[in-house]
Amino acid sequence: MAEVKSAEFKKASGKALRDEKLQHSLEHVMEHFVGARANVIEDDFGDESWEAMRTRAAGIKQSTLEHLDYYLDMVDKSVRRNGGHVYFADDAAQANAIVLDIAKRNGVKTVIKSKSMVSEEMGINHVLEGEGIEPVETDLGEYIIQLAGETPFHIIAPAMHKTRQEVSTLFQEWLKTAPTQDIKRLCVYARDALREKFAVADMGISGANFVVAETGTVCLVTNEGNGRMTTSAPRIHVVLAGMEKIVPAIEDLALFLRLLPRSATGQRITSYNTFASGPRAPSDEDGPEEFHLILVDNGRLNLLRDEVMREALRCIRCGACLNHCPVYRKIGGHAYGWVYSGPIGAIVTPPMTNMKVARDLPYASTLCGTCKDVCPVKIDIPRLLLHLRYKVAEGAIGERSTTWMERLFVGQWHGAMRSRRALEGKANLGRLLTRPFARGGKVRKLPFTPMVSGWTASRDFPAPAPRSFARLWREELAHDNGTELR
Amino acid sequence: MSPTPEEHPNKTAFLLRVRSALGRTEPIVHMPDHPSLKSNAMRQQEKVRTIVARNEARRSSTLDRLARTAAAASWNVRRAGDAEEAAGIIAEIAQQSGVKSLVRSAEDVFKRVNIDTPLRSVGVSPAILASGRSRTRGALRDMAFRADMGVTGVSYAIAETASCAVTPRRGVARLASLAPPRLVLLIEPEQVLETLDDFFAITRLNRMQARGRTANYFNFISGPSRTADIEQTLTIGVHGPGEVHMVILG
Ligand code: SF4
Repeated sequence: MAEVKSAEFKKASGKALRDEKLQHSLEHVMEHFVGARANVIEDDFGDESWEAMRTRAAGIKQSTLEHLDYYLDMVDKSVRRNGGHVYFADDAAQANAIVLDIAKRNGVKTVIKSKSMVSEEMGINHVLEGEGIEPVETDLGEYIIQLAGETPFHIIAPAMHKTRQEVSTLFQEWLKTAPTQDIKRLCVYARDALREKFAVADMGISGANFVVAETGTVCLVTNEGNGRMTTSAPRIHVVLAGMEKIVPAIEDLALFLRLLPRSATGQRITSYNTFASGPRAPSDEDGPEEFHLILVDNGRLNLLRDEVMREALRCIRCGACLNHCPVYRKIGGHAYGWVYSGPIGAIVTPPMTNMKVARDLPYASTLCGTCKDVCPVKIDIPRLLLHLRYKVAEGAIGERSTTWMERLFVGQWHGAMRSRRALEGKANLGRLLTRPFARGGKVRKLPFTPMVSGWTASRDFPAPAPRSFARLWREELAHDNGTELR
Repeated sequence: MSPTPEEHPNKTAFLLRVRSALGRTEPIVHMPDHPSLKSNAMRQQEKVRTIVARNEARRSSTLDRLARTAAAASWNVRRAGDAEEAAGIIAEIAQQSGVKSLVRSAEDVFKRVNIDTPLRSVGVSPAILASGRSRTRGALRDMAFRADMGVTGVSYAIAETASCAVTPRRGVARLASLAPPRLVLLIEPEQVLETLDDFFAITRLNRMQARGRTANYFNFISGPSRTADIEQTLTIGVHGPGEVHMVILG
């Protein structure tokens, strides 16, 4: 499985924040996506029917999840009826082994890949390379990051952090092409290099945007045509799909194909949609002779099992929540440390990988709720973030994950809130302790412990008033009534 | 047809784990409530009959709508009054683009629309991209990759999204509409549908009636191949055709 580096979240996000060039391109690209999405929804539907479509889609996906065992069985039977093979992989290692086995049995030397997030989870490129098989990413963005040896920066724009100069340098090094500033030229270089691979590859690996249970149809949503190439040129087609990718009926695709491209890039539809349900027929002119669908769990059961988290599996990976997230828009995709980033990454990474390693991710949100508003399948991301924060704080995995300082503070707070007298006593103590540090109504710097001084390092604390409200209130009342309130 | 592939040994255990994660001990026997799945072949047939009748009644406005949405989606749209005009337009496009080698599919539409003669008269000799007896997989691929232009028919064209459903089969290679840098799709009026819903309802019925003997593969082509992966700059013609033409009969 791909390495989980989410423990370095704070360090990595700090690095991204200091990268001026990155800040610039993030702002620019995200603004573009946000604008395109808003325009196309406004033009085509208006808020009301868009809302109705989201509700319907959320309902279909949720019901599919609630009956997932039934639909998995249906997918299996449909695909096999069409002549394709179906596999069930518990984790990345099993999925990798299945792919390797198919490849070795067929003497595969070159594999062309069209975009698949599950294959990123599996880290399959590494595994193939280890066996002397060459994997080649064919989505332009994925190809660029493969050459750069990086992970995707964004679900649908994996190389958005790379400038044309950087791409040109990569191509010079790997493809021996001439340097150029012309993006069109760079695309041609990549196209030519990849055509050679298309011609020799024995196996194509794709992901799946949707898997239709009743017909066994895998639907791919692409713009470049690499998805079509991957499913047309090689002799073997392998599909890697998370087990939650199912929609029950082929007619459901009309709805989902309206929601996905609009949410993702603001397109009405992408240039290509590929629908593959099995191997070619003997009478077909071309196409794969073998079709293999691998349905992957790899941590998804942890989401399914938790009734609150289950809805996270409705995700259709459109990326809208990333584009609209004030945190993602500042720190970008790499800081999240695994395959999925942004709000969806923050909710799926901890349960799918390791709660302890990824414990910072649920806090990477202001809980502003925009992600929930734009999500085409209405995942209540803020609620799930809070749920995970609660689990992290409770140490749901059998150990305390709060610090002694936090526990001391909360303990004191708890005591103070139980009686008026205790609260006033603590408040007076605080007033006394902070007074020496107050200047002009503000406390600029507190010494004491790291926690307190850490807080004032980047903000001012308002100096406590010389007399508390409770005291003023008492004095006023005494003045009016001649009695003292106890 | 080859025998049905075997069940994966891990299936039973996998489904059991999924079931227990959902808090159930027994498998589901009755199909969950889903409006589309519940519609049997007879009801689906009824539904499709209505769809077809509506599309027939609104044909001419749907053709106009297709021409509009296609132009907005970067198709070059040409409309032809009859077969002869359509064939002439295709020859004209080939000539204007300086096409030297052209591949086409072997579909029935080319019996009705004879494009070969006008193409030859502008100096382009069309080759049929089919494996035939002597052509191997590699030879077919080389031929497709070398061609300057591909011409094929469609199964359906959807006005809502300017999507052409292209179904590879005998005589229609997958690569014909994918490998050459220029693509011409020829559309007949009866093939035009209003919405994606219409298309999938018909596709569902076709599968139900054909009992598994339908094509395992089709594509929507909804515009030129494009990418914005470098600096978010739109560039057309990556792996698929960058120049796409729609010739609509009627
Ligand atoms: S959580 Fe919703 S908005 Fe985010 S990627 Fe998934 S479907 Fe899109």
